[in-house]
Amino acid sequence: MKDARLPWLRPVVALVISAFFLVPLYMILVNVFKRGEKITQSPASLPAPPTLDNITGLLTRTDDLFWASLTNSVVVTTLSIILLTILSAMLGHYLARTRGRWARVATLLLLSGLMIPPQVILMPVTQVLRAFGLMTTVQGLVLFNVGYYIPFGVFVFSGFLRGIPIELEEAAAIDGASRSRVFWRVVFPLLRPATASVLIFLGVWIWNDFIDPLVILGPSQGTTITTGIYRSIGQYQADFGTVFALMFLATLPVLIFYLFLQKHFVKGLTGGATKG
Amino acid sequence: MKHRALPTALAAAVALAGCTVGCTVGQEQTPRAGGAAAKKEITFLVFETPNLTPQVWDAAIKRVTDKYPDISVKKLVAPSEDRVSYAKQLLASGQFPDVMIAVSPAGFAESGAMAAFTPDELKDFQFPGNGAVHGKVYQLPTNTQTIPVVYYNRDLFAKAGIGAPPRTYAELLDACAKLKAENITPFVIGGGKDPFASTLAWTATIATDVYAKTPDWMARRRAGSVKFTDPDFVKATTKFADLAAKGYIDKKDVSRDYAATEQAFLDGKGAMYPMGNWFAAAGDDPKRKPSWEIGAFTWPSDDASVVVPAFTGGGLSVSASAKHLAEAKKFALAYTLDTANLDNSVHNDGLYPAIKGYTPPADTGAVFKLGYDLYRQGVQADRVTQAFGWEAGDDGMPPGVVDKWRAAAQDLVTGSRTVDQVLASLDDDWAKAS
Amino acid sequence: MAVDVKRTAVPASATRRSRGPRRPALDRLRAFALFGAPGLLVYICFVLAPIVISFGYSLTNHNPFNPPTRFVGLRNYQTLFTDAEFLTSLRVTTILTVIVVIVPNVAGLGIAVLLDRRGWLYNALRTVFFTPMVLSSVVVSIVWTRMLDDEGLVNQSLRALGVARPPGWLSDPGLALYSIAIILSWQMLGFCVVVYLAGLQGVPVELSEAAAIDGAGPVRRFRSVTWPLLAPALTINTVVLLISAFKIFDHIQVITHGGPGTGTTATIAYNVLQTGLVANRQGYASATAIVMLVIIAAAATVTLRVLNRREVNL
Repeated sequence: MKDARLPWLRPVVALVISAFFLVPLYMILVNVFKRGEKITQSPASLPAPPTLDNITGLLTRTDDLFWASLTNSVVVTTLSIILLTILSAMLGHYLARTRGRWARVATLLLLSGLMIPPQVILMPVTQVLRAFGLMTTVQGLVLFNVGYYIPFGVFVFSGFLRGIPIELEEAAAIDGASRSRVFWRVVFPLLRPATASVLIFLGVWIWNDFIDPLVILGPSQGTTITTGIYRSIGQYQADFGTVFALMFLATLPVLIFYLFLQKHFVKGLTGGATKG
Repeated sequence: MKHRALPTALAAAVALAGCTVGCTVGQEQTPRAGGAAAKKEITFLVFETPNLTPQVWDAAIKRVTDKYPDISVKKLVAPSEDRVSYAKQLLASGQFPDVMIAVSPAGFAESGAMAAFTPDELKDFQFPGNGAVHGKVYQLPTNTQTIPVVYYNRDLFAKAGIGAPPRTYAELLDACAKLKAENITPFVIGGGKDPFASTLAWTATIATDVYAKTPDWMARRRAGSVKFTDPDFVKATTKFADLAAKGYIDKKDVSRDYAATEQAFLDGKGAMYPMGNWFAAAGDDPKRKPSWEIGAFTWPSDDASVVVPAFTGGGLSVSASAKHLAEAKKFALAYTLDTANLDNSVHNDGLYPAIKGYTPPADTGAVFKLGYDLYRQGVQADRVTQAFGWEAGDDGMPPGVVDKWRAAAQDLVTGSRTVDQVLASLDDDWAKAS
Repeated sequence: MAVDVKRTAVPASATRRSRGPRRPALDRLRAFALFGAPGLLVYICFVLAPIVISFGYSLTNHNPFNPPTRFVGLRNYQTLFTDAEFLTSLRVTTILTVIVVIVPNVAGLGIAVLLDRRGWLYNALRTVFFTPMVLSSVVVSIVWTRMLDDEGLVNQSLRALGVARPPGWLSDPGLALYSIAIILSWQMLGFCVVVYLAGLQGVPVELSEAAAIDGAGPVRRFRSVTWPLLAPALTINTVVLLISAFKIFDHIQVITHGGPGTGTTATIAYNVLQTGLVANRQGYASATAIVMLVIIAAAATVTLRVLNRREVNL
């Protein structure tokens, strides 16, 4: 529909509100390219002349903090979201297509998992991981991520699956295809929007996770990027330029990933949202 | 099951997962091959600040490992300056480091997580019994800090017509009134994510009005023979609360973190800055030096007698379950007694090493000398007390109470609770925690 | 668009009836082993089992620095409900949650309606509103601390506008909690906008146009056509905001440390960590955590019930 009267009103209002909303993001962006003392004096001014010192200083740290933690973050996040997508799509399918009390109980148990604050289970988790010999390993962190975030994946996938007619699967099954073949060949491709939203949300959450990698990876395995920023703040606390550069660098990869998938994920999320 | 049907993503995930089982991600392990096999590795927990950069730590560690080639050290970095909570997390998750710096031994010692040092190992320390837990020392009493020294802005004092730094508490209040009349905020304090920065003036009034009279107040509190609600403590607390009530401390300061607070004083946002003598590191930093001159005085008592609150400790501790306990202790002592490291702690953190026969280097900065001279005066007058809120071991409060005390300081500054309420609830908190 | 009207209108029981046929037992077992078991197993190991362990600790006086650990039954739970510190944190968390459920929900709906148009401008602005979702809480906290500082951008601007004594956003004990709520609302707003936008784009243009022909004004059109179709979006936003707000920890740790003063911004999650890690009272901290979990679960379940019933009735 068209805005009949005052056609300029909507874009102007939208721009003004967005401008206010944008201020904190603008603050990060301009201050990345400013010298420390200028940030305290005039936090909102444009960086003139801009400097790249804040960024290059970090990228060339002798202990490789940035690159090492970036690698860790990429490995942990990628492994976690791939495993999560596969496992939660299968579990979501199983629960959406299984009748009976037991499946409902399992669904309920999983949904309650959405509500658990990580602090509640963190210390016991370290005990479980130690029992498996997985403490301070990347695999341990990935497995924990899978367990902790699988309810969200199941929530999105099973919600989305309810909108997909079962007849498709039944037809393929009558043709003699096995259940996994039907799932991966027929159903999974239809889940693309849901997959996109699972990938993006879990990707962002796992990337930004702070306390779990801190404790599970432990101090001797290096850090993830989010834990790395927090740690470096100690050293750079008086140097706001570097703090802003750290925040910018830590956000950039996940921001790119997000912009890349942005188109798809909204559909998947609301597919799951229609029936909570 | 037909694996052909699985999408490539699954295969990729399995391949990746399989890879990480084999390869370690992150910082490299010490190579095991060749002659390095005999090296004994110990882990060492440190923390980073603007002065204690990764380079400083690496160089300090290297000086010791050069001396003892059989030891190799893996540096662990705490995620924030709150290394005590982090050490607890590591202990709880089975990753307690072999050696750690500036981790208060309270709790760790009683539960047997830390190894005690023998009198022989402590022979080079000036105060070998400091910070003891049940009579045993678990943290090397490496250096002394005066907490606080009152640093002041000579320009602002001159502007308010204050000739000499105050010598009695009445003179201090008078100076505050003069500053206030000139629209200058008398005190700069901090808070926010660093609540300790709200408390230093309170530590000072407790020293002059409680500890100077009753040096073993804390031991008596433990025994239950004194309370926070006793008259002396009330007097000290009221002094602190009144500074805020009269507007000599700005309520708004309680949300400003420590780094910004230090900068605020250097930027001339207030006239006096009660802070530990480690402020010298910033005050003497040529890059941050203000255009005006920094002065210093000891927090005045009512009768002009000198009282210097100080804390000795802050050194290294060793895990009782260190795989190479002997080497870990050897490293801790060598690290602590290394002259270059001690000189660095003077330059980087403005500390006074409490090592027998050690004198600070001659090239220390002017601000360091101010604090150090005031400390020497206290030592000569034999008027050095503990610094409340900073004590460790048997001299300290039960775990958790110090945090309540810091929050209480902010309550007093903002006026949201009265002196009586604050002190009564501290007694409660003490009862709960012990 | 995924939210199609027909599907939303179908009652849940109808969809359930059309699910798969009953299979022989062996078949069902194989399906479970292949599809259900792997995910559930990881979940049990890393979420359910730790909760059980945590509950176990909550029945003891466990303090790793003060052994021995003894079984104390429900004493920790009894203490909780007379503990001023816990009650304060419950109050703080509730206020925070109520604000964070309402503000981004309302503002998000408004902005979504505003941006529900085609064109590059609206596409670009949508991206602006989504971006805070990818920022970590640590980053958000640091930026906002700088902005709300007495010397920060907000008060600098207020002074430039002639306000002599601008408020101490984070230093005034009566204000800090609300400042934190605003920060959280800013961060969560994007999520609500996404969900509402998706809901709006599922509203068939024909319906709205038909109403317009019948003479309904924009407000009425919104109330009688659009709003009912946004019911599922409202449900997911409310539940997600509720759950995330109740768990808030990072922002408190980075911005205020629970202050200024005693407990003015200390949430339950923050208290759990303080009691457990700083004061070492881990048995008591576990009990606090379990109570917190029960409260979230109850609040979320009730909210879901109410909103779902509302969806069906609309």
